[in-house]
Amino acid sequence: MLFNSLTFVVFYVVATTLYWSLRRWELRKNLLVVASYIFYGAWNPPFAALLFTTTAMDFWLGRKIGKAHARRAKKRWLVASVCMNLSMLGFFKYGNFLLQNFQWLLARIGIIYQPPHLDILLPVGISFYTFHSLSYTLDIYRGVLQPTRSLRDFILAVSFFPQLVAGPIVRAGDFLPQLQHPPRLKTNQFLWGLALMTLGLFEKIVLADTLLSGPADRVFDYAGPLVATDSWAGVLAFAGQIFFDFAGYSITAIGAALTLGFHLKDNFRFPYAAIGFSDFWRRWHISLSTFLRDYLYIPLGGNQVPPFRAALNLVIVMFLGGLWHGAAWTFVVWGLLHGSYLVIERVFRIFFEKKAWAGMLPVRLLAGFATYGAVCIAWVFFRASDFTIASRMLSGMFGGHPTGDMILTTRELLQIGIVTATVISLHWTMRDDSFETTVMRLPAWAITVIGAFMAFAIIFTQGTSNAFIYFQF
Amino acid sequence: MPSFISNFKQRLRLPRMFFRRPSRQEQIHGGPPLEFKRPIPTAPWRGIAVVVTIVVIVATAAWELHARWLGYAPTLNENEDLWTITRRKVEPESIVIIGDSRAWFDVDLDEFQKGLGKRPIQLAAPGSTTFPVLDDLAKDQSFHGTIICSFVPMLFLAPPGSPPMERAEKNVKRSHNQTPAQHASEYLGMWLEEQLAFLKPDDLSLEGFLNQLPIPNRPGAQVPPTFPPYFQTEDRERRARMWEKCAEPGSELAKRIQQIWIPLFTPPPPPSYIPKDVFMAEIKEGIEKRFADVTAAVEKIRARGGKIVFVRFPNSGGLKELEDKITPRQQTWDPLLQMTHAPGIYYSDFPELSGFNCPEWSHLTAGDSVKFSKRLVPHLRHALKMPATP
Repeated sequence: MLFNSLTFVVFYVVATTLYWSLRRWELRKNLLVVASYIFYGAWNPPFAALLFTTTAMDFWLGRKIGKAHARRAKKRWLVASVCMNLSMLGFFKYGNFLLQNFQWLLARIGIIYQPPHLDILLPVGISFYTFHSLSYTLDIYRGVLQPTRSLRDFILAVSFFPQLVAGPIVRAGDFLPQLQHPPRLKTNQFLWGLALMTLGLFEKIVLADTLLSGPADRVFDYAGPLVATDSWAGVLAFAGQIFFDFAGYSITAIGAALTLGFHLKDNFRFPYAAIGFSDFWRRWHISLSTFLRDYLYIPLGGNQVPPFRAALNLVIVMFLGGLWHGAAWTFVVWGLLHGSYLVIERVFRIFFEKKAWAGMLPVRLLAGFATYGAVCIAWVFFRASDFTIASRMLSGMFGGHPTGDMILTTRELLQIGIVTATVISLHWTMRDDSFETTVMRLPAWAITVIGAFMAFAIIFTQGTSNAFIYFQF
Repeated sequence: MPSFISNFKQRLRLPRMFFRRPSRQEQIHGGPPLEFKRPIPTAPWRGIAVVVTIVVIVATAAWELHARWLGYAPTLNENEDLWTITRRKVEPESIVIIGDSRAWFDVDLDEFQKGLGKRPIQLAAPGSTTFPVLDDLAKDQSFHGTIICSFVPMLFLAPPGSPPMERAEKNVKRSHNQTPAQHASEYLGMWLEEQLAFLKPDDLSLEGFLNQLPIPNRPGAQVPPTFPPYFQTEDRERRARMWEKCAEPGSELAKRIQQIWIPLFTPPPPPSYIPKDVFMAEIKEGIEKRFADVTAAVEKIRARGGKIVFVRFPNSGGLKELEDKITPRQQTWDPLLQMTHAPGIYYSDFPELSGFNCPEWSHLTAGDSVKFSKRLVPHLRHALKMPATP
């Protein structure tokens, strides 16, 4: 079920009304479990069984890890959990990709092998709920979380419908404690949750789908060379589209959870005002970057190893982060590019961080725009479906096709320019604050005008229920 | 460390996470459960919510009144979910109408039901290529009914990857993959569309508004063609009827649409990145392949006892001249019938089917569609080898 669909509106109203009208906390939790499975099953009912299987297995393995006294036994159960989760992910998400690469490798040594194409349908949100579930056994093993006794609570932690299919990646350790005591219905919290949902849907329906996705799709799907203006416009449109699409989903999820009394952490913090790439990753898809940091980068040695090893660790983490997004080498290159950016930034920091001029506003602005430019270049690989398209795009962006085609209308160019300039300005304005602080600074009439504008714009736009980009991951 | 673990670790160099206690730093990040509460900004939220609700209701009501004042009325919008709901009604012996918008506008389901003895299912879709739907029916092993297929050469022969092809493929794909949520959303959407006139995504939406902004394009820019505005109503059976405002003699809307058809039906120049001769050879090859694929699909349906008849629906004015010039009958219609050995009805071959005027050059008015359908029935019965009278 998509947030931007009429079914979700009805589902949400019914589920929320029932939830708050039930008195017993246990019944409310049961209701949320049922609602979450309906939410997920509304895509493809059989996949709800897969979700349940993964969850039940991790619940059982979590208890085994918790009960085991010997370190060795704990490790064994953890390895079982990691293997179970990653093999599910591997089969559904990377099965055909691995077969294709195997075929390519054999062809290099002269063996012609035609693998069967596995007709695998990717379960929606498998990358997200696998990480929700995996965080539970990892944290029990690390001794920072006690296994829960309630299978129902754990099912709810993994499948809680607002964050189930496209994040934020909510760790069981952050969610399970919220199931201890029933939340009280607080009017301000509920209304703020609705305001966040309105903002999220505005970002998705109006900005991502209506103003940006059309030109981005046309530019990336065009089979010929494009002039620099159109190439850059397409990339900027995609940079805006993916931000509004994903941040829109996250904000809607956070808002929906808040209306039910649950607190989810931020997933985005004004990323297009980042100064440097480590700053960017502290602001973009925060739940994934912290997941990779805590469960991969730090265990690999983090910063506590010689510089070369630390740099290698960064590249490994970003390589896997790229692969997490999809079974394609273009995603791997996107991850590796970000890994290289992080390494280069570290080198720069060694030489320049302590210089007095490094903190000056023009330098910071310049560094911010350089970061944004480099992030946009990386987006080319993220969006392009193959390397031919990516190289054609990059060539166009850097003046390689001065006589190339122009395919965007002037209106679309203006649209992209205005949205991009606005989002960058707003991110820079709010970069050192939280969103809530910014809202608090606004007078009530301004909040009212903005809220009414966004709500009416959603109705006026009459969106067509386009899927969120991150569903495919 | 136990030997098997240490060897395992040494060989694979797995992350150390699995083999040591977490550091203090990790414990902080990973989580003793944080007492995390999202801050709620201080503001008079109740008052804001009340005012926002009132403003949005008033603005929406005003927009609805404006839409009705402009002449719009509540009607369904064409989309792949509505198509899917209709596709699911196809039974093994159904009469199915497939093709483009001419079959969508010009066929009256009541007249066909009276004349053919069975209510047909309308699967023709505006601006779409026939082949993906024909192929889908051919692959449907249970189907052995009758197909009435519209033929507009520019759409019928549209190459893979072109918008007409993509529209048809999207419909077929949705009919195979529609989720329960999409199915439910369509029913909710239909109910809303039958109540509210402003729900017209092509005209009365933000995108429609932006498309109408008079901003000139760069010289030489290959921008997408303009599509016609709203000019039809549609019901739950997918029966389309021309909007009265377009059907009126001398209608400004009809004149506007006439001028939109001309660029839409004019073949685009060869792309700059493909040599012209290579492009023309590809087009020729694509047309031959389409005829061959259609023939194969028709044979499959026929082998199961199914029937098909091709119909060329009326067009008029400048669009007829353009179509006759760029897609002459001898190069499109005649080869199609020769290859498929299927019967065909070309409207201009029969005086009783000719002489209809299409106000915007491409489709019949709702009233004329009834008359035309009534006159077409005997020809269909003859082509399908049915007895002369039902």
